Amino acid sequence: MSDQPVVMELEHEFDEKRCRHYLNGQLSVLHCHHYASLYTQLAMDAEFIDAKTILAQSAEDSFFDMLSDSYQAHPELTPDEKLEVGCQYYAVIGLGQMKVLSAGETSGKVALEHSHVDEGWIKKWGKKDKAVNFVTRGYIAALFATAYGKPVQSYIVSEVESIVTGAARSLFIVSSK
Amino acid sequence: MAIDRQAIIDNLSQVQISGNEEGLIPAYGVFITQLPASFWNNFAQRLTNKVDPDLLEAAEYLLVNAAHECGYHTGYGIINSEEWKAVVAPMVEKVPEDVLHGAYAVFTAWGWGKAEIVELIPGEKMVVRAYDYYEADMAEDGAIIRPSAYMIRGVSGAFMDLAYGNPYPNGLYTFQCQQAKGIECGDSYGEFVVTKVETA
Repeated sequence: MSDQPVVMELEHEFDEKRCRHYLNGQLSVLHCHHYASLYTQLAMDAEFIDAKTILAQSAEDSFFDMLSDSYQAHPELTPDEKLEVGCQYYAVIGLGQMKVLSAGETSGKVALEHSHVDEGWIKKWGKKDKAVNFVTRGYIAALFATAYGKPVQSYIVSEVESIVTGAARSLFIVSSK
Repeated sequence: MAIDRQAIIDNLSQVQISGNEEGLIPAYGVFITQLPASFWNNFAQRLTNKVDPDLLEAAEYLLVNAAHECGYHTGYGIINSEEWKAVVAPMVEKVPEDVLHGAYAVFTAWGWGKAEIVELIPGEKMVVRAYDYYEADMAEDGAIIRPSAYMIRGVSGAFMDLAYGNPYPNGLYTFQCQQAKGIECGDSYGEFVVTKVETA
């Protein structure tokens, strides 16, 4: 295995006819922390239809496609390298600073030193006494699934520490279903 | 009109943003992300398909509201940004009407939808048409669905708030927007009508 760190390649394209932006072939759109916070609040309010799970699974499905497409051009990447590229992608798209603390095919731990969702929520409304980062739960589920060649909904991701509550970092525990 | 819409699109569509050393994108007074459009569509569609019919209007109101607040705060940041000052501001002759037209050119350049104002009664009413927008992708393979361009509705209301409401940040919710046509409904374009909220 090379000693050189794996660096994610990012290709941006603007479709002039349709006025759409693509990152690594994925249609992408800019939105702000107000939007993310209000979508998250909506998911929390709609508990009667388990909308938090809808939010996390919507994220997992989209990020699964995004990461899968990115890895297609690099079949030589190991699972650890895919996890590293996935963390880089997380940062490039503005979701925050992610580090995989431990990882295997059936379990793992992932930390956030910075988080768009948490810090955006605090910026808008101040701290909250419970976790709000369902988007990242979905991202991490997709990250592990694509790294280990599994389909979507192969992993359960729980948030056990949260920047939004005042913790120094967010911490997610990953386990296979 | 002084606004050169195509020049704004050609210029500002080339602006590329990326996370900083903290993986965050602080810009225009907000934090920005650049996520797959499918994520936002997935959630909106799955949520509205799952709620009981008697709660659909409330769910859709909240989806629109998310965009209304986003559009208001981010829109304010955009029209006070260095990019705006460099590219759009020199074209502005009539305030706020040219600012509104310029804002929709930026809206198009940054991929929210290929949209423009087709009717404007200052302070009263605005009609926007969108000829291509990612929210229409919720209708796949020619399927017809109910009007679902919640983001365009919210942002359109917000842009009128910024133009004709009380000075920022006190103008939010002066206007509201309804969707009259939608590509996802089988129409050839989306049409959005913004009017003033009736006050008692």
